[in-house]
Amino acid sequence: MSLKFDRRSILRGMLSGSAVYMGLPALDVFLNGNGTAFADGAKLPVRFGTYFWGLGLTDTPTGGTRWVPTKVGAGYEIMPELQPLASLKDKVSVFSGFRAIGDGRANLVHWTGHASILTGIAPAVSTRFDGPTLDTKVADAIGGSTRFRSIDVDASVSRKPVSYSTRSGNTFGSPETTPLGLYTRLFGPGFQDPNSPNWKPDPSIMLRQSVLSAVKDQREALLANVGKADQVKLDQYFTSVREMENQLAVQLQKPDKCESCVVPAAPKEVARGASVDIVNANTKTMAKLLAMGLACNQSRVFTFVHTASSSETYIAGQSKIYHQITHDEPTDAKLGFQPETSKLAEQVMKGFGEFLTEMDAIKEGEGTLLDHMLVMGLSDTGYAKIHAIENIPMFFAGRAGGKHKAGQHIRGAGDPVTRVSLTAMQLAGAPVGEFGTGTMKTSRPISDVIA
Amino acid sequence: MASDTNALKVAVRRVTETQYRHIVADVFGPEIKINARFEPEKREDGLLAIGTAQLSLTSSGFEQYFALASSISEQALSEKQREKLVGCKPADPTKADDACARQFIEHYGQKLFRRPLTESETQARLKSAGVGAKQANDFYMGLRLALTSMLVAPEFLFRVETAEPDPANPKQYRLDAYTKASRISFLLWDSAPDDELLTAARTGAIHTDASLKQQLTRMLAAPRYEQGARAFFTDMLQLDGFDNLVKDPAIYPKFNQSVSDSAKEETLKSVIDLLVTKKRDYRELFSSNDTFINRPLASVYNVPFLSAGDWVPYTFPQSSERSGILTQVSFLSLFAHPGTSSPTRRGIKVHEIFMCTPTPDPPADVDFSKVQDSKAGTIRGRLLDHMQNTGCTACHRRSDPPGLALEHFDGLGQLRTTENGAPIDVSADLEGVKLVGAQGLAKYLHDAPKVPECLVRNVFAYGIGRKTGIKDEDYLADQTKAFVSNGYHVPDLMLQVASSPEFFKVAVPAGARSALSAETTTPPVQTAQSSSQSPKN
Repeated sequence: MSLKFDRRSILRGMLSGSAVYMGLPALDVFLNGNGTAFADGAKLPVRFGTYFWGLGLTDTPTGGTRWVPTKVGAGYEIMPELQPLASLKDKVSVFSGFRAIGDGRANLVHWTGHASILTGIAPAVSTRFDGPTLDTKVADAIGGSTRFRSIDVDASVSRKPVSYSTRSGNTFGSPETTPLGLYTRLFGPGFQDPNSPNWKPDPSIMLRQSVLSAVKDQREALLANVGKADQVKLDQYFTSVREMENQLAVQLQKPDKCESCVVPAAPKEVARGASVDIVNANTKTMAKLLAMGLACNQSRVFTFVHTASSSETYIAGQSKIYHQITHDEPTDAKLGFQPETSKLAEQVMKGFGEFLTEMDAIKEGEGTLLDHMLVMGLSDTGYAKIHAIENIPMFFAGRAGGKHKAGQHIRGAGDPVTRVSLTAMQLAGAPVGEFGTGTMKTSRPISDVIA
Repeated sequence: MASDTNALKVAVRRVTETQYRHIVADVFGPEIKINARFEPEKREDGLLAIGTAQLSLTSSGFEQYFALASSISEQALSEKQREKLVGCKPADPTKADDACARQFIEHYGQKLFRRPLTESETQARLKSAGVGAKQANDFYMGLRLALTSMLVAPEFLFRVETAEPDPANPKQYRLDAYTKASRISFLLWDSAPDDELLTAARTGAIHTDASLKQQLTRMLAAPRYEQGARAFFTDMLQLDGFDNLVKDPAIYPKFNQSVSDSAKEETLKSVIDLLVTKKRDYRELFSSNDTFINRPLASVYNVPFLSAGDWVPYTFPQSSERSGILTQVSFLSLFAHPGTSSPTRRGIKVHEIFMCTPTPDPPADVDFSKVQDSKAGTIRGRLLDHMQNTGCTACHRRSDPPGLALEHFDGLGQLRTTENGAPIDVSADLEGVKLVGAQGLAKYLHDAPKVPECLVRNVFAYGIGRKTGIKDEDYLADQTKAFVSNGYHVPDLMLQVASSPEFFKVAVPAGARSALSAETTTPPVQTAQSSSQSPKN
């Protein structure tokens, strides 16, 4: 394969995106992971993504958990709210008992939890994160040779498009919110079928490249005498320009053949609604498209939002939203948990189960696409009724090309959530040796799940 | 100007979706189709104008702008359009022609960048035009590339606000003339300056009070002022929420996309009619029952619609319990849940939108044990439980009453007097004032001094693109006083704000190198906001 690997632009992207925890040995790892051909017999690439759903899973401080297995290690039992994952259990690890630690910073409700997992920092305000999210670090490491460095998807049909992916902490991703939008991005204009017998470079791409060089020519003049905050904005703008250049460069190369890539048909417009049945249907449709986008080498990294934090999804025909129910519903004395809340949690997990099933449905090499992925599932809270940021449910799904010792339950015993985050980045192939700040700073991945 | 080493960039504000659309329509004509998904905007301190000013572009956003720019260039330079748009003819249409290309680039560059291009900016585009013409054997393909590159340039997609040393006071900065022109143009028109305003900037006339006032008066009288006022009220009233509003179809069968679009339009139509066309007292927003309805809305309001036309004026009778903007479908449905009303959300929004008083986030560790599940009875009961809880009471006691007063309207805005068979009590106690129902709440807001104060603050913050701070308080108080004594007229308020020196005051951003003194970190002029704001983001 003759793909040109613009090492400099990727490095620059990393530098502007974050504090870099990267020494030279790590750089070798990173280079090896890039620009390598994945033709017959060669190793298939690892794909990475985060999957977020709102409001955690149900348990109560007095016991009565609906999701934390009793057994630790391999062969954990399927708890009621994990039921939708049962058929994929061997490919899924469950993480319980990890916590976000603010070191004196307030628990910003429905914000601190996932911000801590994704950035390693408990944020100061509830409109921003205080650092880049881990998916951008992974994207910088493994996303440079595909058309898209990363794909952001929001299936939630929320009031605003939701993304928890950010480089600056301030500007969040601009997600695809409809199946048609996602389809168009992945398979619309600019898509090149890797299995097409008569590939030719598109001459208009070179014209587009000249457009971008005119923009870049002015970079220095624009960055002169500008304030810090504005400089961050402009840097991100030019990072986006470079990603576009990279995209065009990839499109000028003949794509490698790709057995599992079958270009899907355009999806139909779907009903819009926030009830959980519609959100799950949306999730399934978008998961299918995303899976094929990954299989067709359009991207190796994604972020997927099923429902936003403080989720407003609900059971169709009922007046109360999930968020409200988690707070208002009393714990049933006999059952020991909140029954309505748990019912919704089961529905929400159904979405995750369907998402993973779609990833597992694509055959790739000896196994499935999911076998070559690491999907990090996470939420914003533990026990949502009290906005707990202890015991936030997290999952690793997929074998990460054999690197993930899947199918285990890991009990965190109060360890910071960042240990899980660090492990995820390392399994995905990002050269990150340390993650988080303050008490959440860690350089200890969870070795039990690393093969 | 970008080449001036003494120039200081005081702000880089992303152009909003509506601004983008308006500029393209103003420069290339309304027939240009804009079909793209824009980057999400962000509301801070009540306004998208503040939040979005702090945003950059993601790579997927840039992709969208890139595709959109190509599409606009293609349309604008189609064989049909190019005659109208390009003021010169190439010597040979199959070859590059630098002279004609330069004329095109300079002409449209100035409109898009809202200032003349520097020579190096022009050169960069001339190069694109040359490459394009050569590769495609088509002069106009070259122009397309040059235009595309201007439409994806940061100087177009962001408002780069620039200051220069003030000749009258060399120790201080002043906004340069083009930045001033853009500020007033985006405030009043939600679009880029027109030729006349750019001329006032080029000659420097805009720095004089007389010329500034003359421009403002002209702009307020222009038809484009309506689009500017619409943009302002869309932002302030948070009508962007309609882009994604959903309702449960079983609970609100009358709700659909056309109701959603109509509700937004009803509010904008009635606000513009009242405050811009008729120039009425701003406070009548809460008391006027004059509105406009169409067929989908008539069904929700449960009133007959007998016209064959699209929109007709309509006045709600006193018995409808409606009163002004708070009882329009837009406010009532936006600030509710998919399957129910929400007194808390409505209450929070009454405080935030009309009185500029935000409600803090709920505490994390609230004890909800007293809150009982109430499938029966009214929502008031459930909220009263919150009020008995010490962790909740401080905020809910303030946030809920306006919403409780609006409870005769369900989550879509339909009138009802019972919930689950129980009569709904719409009396409320708002900071010691007892009031009943929507009409009582409307009266309260009509008379509340915070309401005009809040509007003045919003107009100012919307124009300058940052939240106001302690140092702005005296100025805002003076402006409010003037607004009140001039009879609460919104266009006059905009004139008054945009002609005040504070509107153009320079706040040197943290980390910028000042050319005026050796110590770069101590800006000569600074507002409370710029010093308190953390540069970390």
